[in-house]
Amino acid sequence: MRTALIALLALALGSCAREERFPAAPILIVCPWSAGGGTDRVARQLAVLLEQDLGVPVNVVNATGGDGVTGHSRGALARPDGYSLTLVTSEIATLHWRGMTSISHRDFAPVGLVNRDAGAIFVRADAPWRTLSDLAQAIRDAPGTLRASGTATAGIWHLGLAGWLSTVGIKPTDVIWVSIAGSAPSLQELMAGGVDLVSCSLPEAQSLLAAGRIRSLGVMAEGRVPRFPDVPTFQEQGVDWTLGTLRGLAVPQDTPPARVRVLADAVRRVVEGDAYRSALAVSGFTPAYEDPVRFGASLEEIDRRLGALLLSDAFRGLAVKRFGPMFFPAVLVGALVLATLGILLAGDRSLPATGADGAPSAASAGAAWRFTEVLLFVALYVALAETAGFILTAAALLLAHLLRLGTRPAVAVPLALTLAPAAYHVFAVVLRVPLPAGMLGW
Amino acid sequence: MIESIAPALGLVLDPTVLVVIAAAALYGMMFGSIPGLSATMAVALVVPMTYFLSPMAALAAIVTLEACAISAGDIPSALVRIPGTPASAAYAEDLYQLARRGQYERALGTCIVFSVIGGLFGVAVLALFARPFASVATWFTVAEYFWLYVLGLGCAVVVSRGSAWKGAFALFLGLLLSTVGLSAVHTEARFTFGRPELYQGISFIPALVGLFGMSEVLRNLRTLGRAEPVPLAVAVAVPARRSSWDAVRAVFGGTFDLFLRRPWQTLQASTIGTIVGILPGAGADIAAWVSYGVSKRTAANPEEYGRGSLEAVADSGAANNSALAGAWVPALTLGIPGDSITAIVLGVMMMKNLQPGPEIFAKQAVLVHGLFIVFVLANLVLLPAGYLAIRASGLLLRVPRRTLLPIIVLFCVLGSYAIGGSYFDVGVMLAMGLLGFLLERRQVPVGPVVLGIILGGPLEERFIQAMTASGGSPSVFFARPSAAVLGVVAIGVWLLPALGAWRARRRAVPS
Repeated sequence: MRTALIALLALALGSCAREERFPAAPILIVCPWSAGGGTDRVARQLAVLLEQDLGVPVNVVNATGGDGVTGHSRGALARPDGYSLTLVTSEIATLHWRGMTSISHRDFAPVGLVNRDAGAIFVRADAPWRTLSDLAQAIRDAPGTLRASGTATAGIWHLGLAGWLSTVGIKPTDVIWVSIAGSAPSLQELMAGGVDLVSCSLPEAQSLLAAGRIRSLGVMAEGRVPRFPDVPTFQEQGVDWTLGTLRGLAVPQDTPPARVRVLADAVRRVVEGDAYRSALAVSGFTPAYEDPVRFGASLEEIDRRLGALLLSDAFRGLAVKRFGPMFFPAVLVGALVLATLGILLAGDRSLPATGADGAPSAASAGAAWRFTEVLLFVALYVALAETAGFILTAAALLLAHLLRLGTRPAVAVPLALTLAPAAYHVFAVVLRVPLPAGMLGW
Repeated sequence: MIESIAPALGLVLDPTVLVVIAAAALYGMMFGSIPGLSATMAVALVVPMTYFLSPMAALAAIVTLEACAISAGDIPSALVRIPGTPASAAYAEDLYQLARRGQYERALGTCIVFSVIGGLFGVAVLALFARPFASVATWFTVAEYFWLYVLGLGCAVVVSRGSAWKGAFALFLGLLLSTVGLSAVHTEARFTFGRPELYQGISFIPALVGLFGMSEVLRNLRTLGRAEPVPLAVAVAVPARRSSWDAVRAVFGGTFDLFLRRPWQTLQASTIGTIVGILPGAGADIAAWVSYGVSKRTAANPEEYGRGSLEAVADSGAANNSALAGAWVPALTLGIPGDSITAIVLGVMMMKNLQPGPEIFAKQAVLVHGLFIVFVLANLVLLPAGYLAIRASGLLLRVPRRTLLPIIVLFCVLGSYAIGGSYFDVGVMLAMGLLGFLLERRQVPVGPVVLGIILGGPLEERFIQAMTASGGSPSVFFARPSAAVLGVVAIGVWLLPALGAWRARRRAVPS
């Protein structure tokens, strides 16, 4: 048994000449936003079409949280072999200015821009303001009373609103920004009367606009958006302010240029193809394409503009002061202490330790060792899976664990040898949830 | 309305749509029964495929998928105490204890049947009252949501088995864990110790798998004697040979009696589920918790709750499935998603040039009625699909512990890894497994910890958002009538255990 294990591990760690053809293994697109959101929909559409174009499986993984820090860092720090793409969003240009990460667009090699959408300002249909200047006047007349939302504090749409206010000479702090993550809940808050205006993109507000429940006072684009011909631009109303989100694919900085070219060509074919354009257009996004050079320049430009805005005096003092990040944890620690006191005073310390079923339980011999073993097996999996792939690692460790717990080899060996590939197939092929392919994956 | 039913039936009874429903049922059962893969993820994965389907077939795929995935989430709860989807977490312990007492098939049969009842109730509300109910969603500002979350958390304390103090302890611990990372209302992250992975906080799927699944593995490992192979389910009273009729009766027998015995409670659970589902930002998981809490308060035998109660399983199972249909109410009428699945649905609808909004009932009457019929079909298809899944999974109960435990460990690792493709999450799962093990040694329930992790972020956000919007005045929480009513109810739920203790003391004094 031990020799079999060693042989398997040796096979797993041994060098295995990979074909020079690229791509020859499944490709992963890191999406920094959650499953089901707008960015995720774009990512999954791209995955399907890139898979047809490149002839290898293309999967999406959602690395969410931290306003995009998690996904963008994961994408930038991935192995630069061309198999890990990131669907970069405009947040890449704000995160490092906000001091949340050192990752910026300079850590990526651009592959191609896939979508652009301009920001817009919305109010309820029954609001008294008809134009941007009405709204600006209302803010000037009563600074610090109107409430706005559309995204979290310092998110792209917050910057869109702040940029407009600065352009017309109003302090951004004269509008209370209510930090709500996402445009859908912000629009709901607008409907419920919790905020007075929302800054987000036109397609995100499409249903409520069409139902006549909200109005748009202007779009921050250079020209009117074809699908929303009635919405005037900011420039038409005499305000020189434009801002929009962009989305595009990128790979880690050190990816071999030849591989970036292969990917860039595939992305161009897909994004300029009819399937992508119609899928995106009808789902409410504006398809757009830029090659690696132009996309790189666009990233550089948005980084410069948003950086200037974030570092300006106008944006200082927007951080939440009254309830800092430690307020809630402090309250909870207090509550925990109270609950602990309650448990001690209620005096049920005397209860004997029982199992979940209520029966008294006692540790059997070797329990401590079995605990250590489980931790060790999981740690070994984490250490080996990426190089050796799921199938080899899982089969070897499952077999070892089964044998250690006393399962007969006649049961354990066939079980491990069938379960690992079967699980891989179900996850990676049937359910399209990527597992590390490593050496034996398909 | 009547005139569009016949064409709607024609739309649904199209062979492609029927094949799609069958395939989606299978796919949903698989997704739901694998811990770590949520129903939301299942739906997100089929979206690119729906591009090639007709609008009716696309909606049919999603509706069937979510109903089957949420119901199948109960299977691993009963089998190995790992909820397949977060919506099953509230009653995972009850299912597991029932299975260990040899009622595996009956417990899951109850889940399926009451899921169908709850689901059909939700469809009825969606079909008949969508428009009046939709306005509920537009009353809710952040202050109302704050109270709703306080209410949900209070239910977790009320339902916790044993001491309410321990339930509260577990809940506060979960809430504290939820503060890790960057919240939506702050610009700086907390407790990340320089790890970029922690910016996103502790993901609740790995935490769920760890707290429920891994901790149970550790508990079993502690008592595992290598010489005495004990099957996981101590007394599985399944005879080796039986007629197929007996097999069906073993799964579904008695569920109808259970319904007839307490139709009002089932109605109550389905109503709670549907209303929670209608509210944006609260979905099937919270519906199951609230329903469990209410069910326990109104039950004849509350002491059984948490130790394996069929009533608990029935009421929570009905609630989480009715919430699914409820979430479609604001989505169809206002274009506001009721949960994360309907958020995806809205995207698909726009892709198909269907504009959600009040006019959809007039402009797309045939399709909307087709959708209702699909909802009914999806719930009916649950009965055979669920039956087959229960029979197939039941075989696993005969596997001895020494063979089953390593497989569960593998699936804990897979489930925590798969949702975000992150090894860090595997570490989180392991840490939560140890935490859950230690908590249960002290009889502290793990369910409230999970709920705390899920609701901690929204609770803090709503609080700070409401305070920001009001310029720092706490009166905002009682300023609107709807907020005031919800606030009083929420505070009342939190005071219930104290009231119970006081009454018990009063009763104890004279005797």
